[in-house]
Amino acid sequence: MKLKSDLPAALKYQAVIIESAARDAGLDFFEVIFELLEAKDVNGVAAYGGFPVRYPSWRFGMEFERLEKGRRWGLSKIYELVINNDPTYAYLVRSNSLLEQKLVMAHVYGHADFFKNNLWFAPTDRKMLDTMGNHSTRCRRYIDAFGQEGVERFSDLCLSLETLVDPYLPLREHSQPAEDRSIYTPPSERARRSLEALSMSPLAEPAEEVDLRPMVGKLPTYDILGFLEENAPLEAWQRDILHIVRAEAYYFVPQRMTKIMNEGWASFWHSRLLTGGLLEPEEILDFADCHSGATMTAPGQLNPYKLGIELFRHAEELGEDIFQLRRVHNDVSFIHKLVDKEFSARHLSRPSAPRDTDGPEGPAPAPDWRENKGQLLHQLSWGGYPQIELVGVDTEGEGELKLVHHHDGRDLQMGRARETLLNLQALWKAPVHLLTLLEKQGRCLVARGDEVSVTETEEAEALCSDEKPKQPPASSAKRA
Amino acid sequence: MFRIEADRARFREIVRGRIREDLRRYLSTGELIGRAGEHAVSIPLPQIELPRFVFGQNPKGGGKGEGKPGDSADGEVGEGEGAGSAGENPGAHILEVEVELEELAEMLGEELQLPNIQPRGVKELDTDGGRYNRVRNSGPNSLRLFRRTFKNALKRTIASGLYDPLDPRIVPIREDFRYRMKKSSPQPDSSAVVFHMMDVSGSMGREQKEVVRIKAFWIDTWLRSQYKNLDVVYIVHDAVARIVDQHTFFHLRESGGTKISSAYELCLKQIMERYRPEDYNIYPFHYSDGDNWSARDTELCISTLRDEILPRVNQFCYGQVKSAHGSGQFKKDLDGALSAVETLVTTAVNDRADVPEAIRSFLGQGR
Repeated sequence: MKLKSDLPAALKYQAVIIESAARDAGLDFFEVIFELLEAKDVNGVAAYGGFPVRYPSWRFGMEFERLEKGRRWGLSKIYELVINNDPTYAYLVRSNSLLEQKLVMAHVYGHADFFKNNLWFAPTDRKMLDTMGNHSTRCRRYIDAFGQEGVERFSDLCLSLETLVDPYLPLREHSQPAEDRSIYTPPSERARRSLEALSMSPLAEPAEEVDLRPMVGKLPTYDILGFLEENAPLEAWQRDILHIVRAEAYYFVPQRMTKIMNEGWASFWHSRLLTGGLLEPEEILDFADCHSGATMTAPGQLNPYKLGIELFRHAEELGEDIFQLRRVHNDVSFIHKLVDKEFSARHLSRPSAPRDTDGPEGPAPAPDWRENKGQLLHQLSWGGYPQIELVGVDTEGEGELKLVHHHDGRDLQMGRARETLLNLQALWKAPVHLLTLLEKQGRCLVARGDEVSVTETEEAEALCSDEKPKQPPASSAKRA
Repeated sequence: MFRIEADRARFREIVRGRIREDLRRYLSTGELIGRAGEHAVSIPLPQIELPRFVFGQNPKGGGKGEGKPGDSADGEVGEGEGAGSAGENPGAHILEVEVELEELAEMLGEELQLPNIQPRGVKELDTDGGRYNRVRNSGPNSLRLFRRTFKNALKRTIASGLYDPLDPRIVPIREDFRYRMKKSSPQPDSSAVVFHMMDVSGSMGREQKEVVRIKAFWIDTWLRSQYKNLDVVYIVHDAVARIVDQHTFFHLRESGGTKISSAYELCLKQIMERYRPEDYNIYPFHYSDGDNWSARDTELCISTLRDEILPRVNQFCYGQVKSAHGSGQFKKDLDGALSAVETLVTTAVNDRADVPEAIRSFLGQGR
């Protein structure tokens, strides 16, 4: 598929008009390039997370299959797809009506502004389109050299650990002086690594033995992928694959952390720009139909478009500077700041028990609004994943990793946790311990060989407890 | 979207258990609920989920109501909210599982290890043999792209700091080499015709017809996956033969004598007049219980097959369905007289369970 296609004149004209309206309204973005694609190709791009090229993986094929079945059965449809890159690329679906295209374009300028200005995106790779292509090429070379199955198995292993990153790390690193940064390997170092990896023939010696000694200075850390990339006993090509998986995971982290704000901001602006004079009179109804379709919320579900747009409108009513808000917040802090009793009552009320069976005591009392808010924040915290930290290496003398799950009231799904631990163990090539709580009881899971053993432990209760989750439990780690 | 199609193909292979057995245990058979007309239909959607650390379902035990001091003003008691992951009940309306025909054919092909059909004759090959308009990392030296290779080597040398402008020596290593690659592959010719001929004389009962129906369906499905245009001609015969539509073919119940030669002659006539071998790949199938009217008619059948039909078709298949009254003699006669002819395939089917084996022997030759 080629990029840089020319838009038809009618669309180009609209793009120019909408862009200037967006700039007049105060939005600020990198150049936005629209590509017009067939619905099927948009699904292909969507399956690749918005990119035209990714490394080969059945996972993308699976996603494509799901999207394609949805499209062919008329169950789902992708309107818009935009990627955080400079220039910002956005895809339009050829079969959409002109009104839909206008709506999508206005929406895209909103996203483009958010990508450029939201703090959490500041550390992201703005040339990710090239980087992804580069990752793909490297992966394909490894496949040529070492076979598809082996490379795929290893990347599946890494992907299973994809969530073991520190969502706050990139920003922390970004705000430090350049020489201290470690998350982004400098280009020269990257070039050296990939050259090294490539010059290894399949028969060559395994990579030099990695020193397994704990890197005490760097522990504890949530950036377990980063720790593994530096310290796991891997061959050069494996280390590079792990590097790729980690770089891509970090690239997508801010999108997970700001999903509600990002969609809200884009919806807020497509609505404001289009109803602010960009619609023809005869388009108003179709616009309303289309807009309400996107912001419709089924009971008990969270629609980020709807919640986000309402939050920004609420902020505006409160007299807040919405441009400033979009700059500094992520979903959790944004909701924490803005949701009050009134907002909660209007937008966060959860479905209560069916009304038609009103008991003698009348309708059930609605839960307290703070509880609703708390629950939502809970759900969004740490990118929606369990918070797992690496606190020690080799504390028992087996070269093992020691992880702690900072329990927040929600237990881990044990079956998956076991499998994931086994994968981690396969990558680390030494046992892996995980402390967690199960039904309020301390548990220690140990992956060793093909087995995961579970024992009760008091230690976990002290380590995992919810009481002081925001501070890394430095003291207990130092004990190591 | 060549690449995503490759990823999709790989995913399907995994789902079918052909590769990466280790992933099978993460496979779940999800579904999408779609709508066909007024019915809800279930669209199978297998998913493989790599293990990750995720939250489980806490046992309900009351809604984590620890303390929460001070917010009693509303008088709302913190009810242990009913853990509401509400309503994803697919409903009891699902009528059928929809499998795409294409997919079915693929599965059939894999299940029975059917080879893709080899096109007949040179003329059937796609004349556009492809063009060398792609580049890849390995290949024969005759296809080496010198300039690309050199450029890569130069880039690498500069990047690694070994480049000396006074002594610009560039030594390519294996990873620098690029080769031309050919795009597109020959396709089988796109037209084919299938003749389904069935004995509908008195001895062919309901069950025998059902077996024929199943067989015919799978054969059609497979051939359709191999050819862009597939014509199907249905012929029924007792003592005389005639062309009927699909519905009649499967529902007709005649009685009376059996003259198989009548069907073969009609088939031959169709081949000569409408489906010339130069233009079509031809697949006649004949199903009967093996009783023919007379030995003389069987002789006629054999000579028609040997001299007229077999030289003109890709393959002729005779499937004998066991019936209460049939003698099964016809298959023996065919096998005896024409055993040396490769393009004749005969099978005996006792009941439905034998159908896959019969299909394999019909289509397993890849003709």
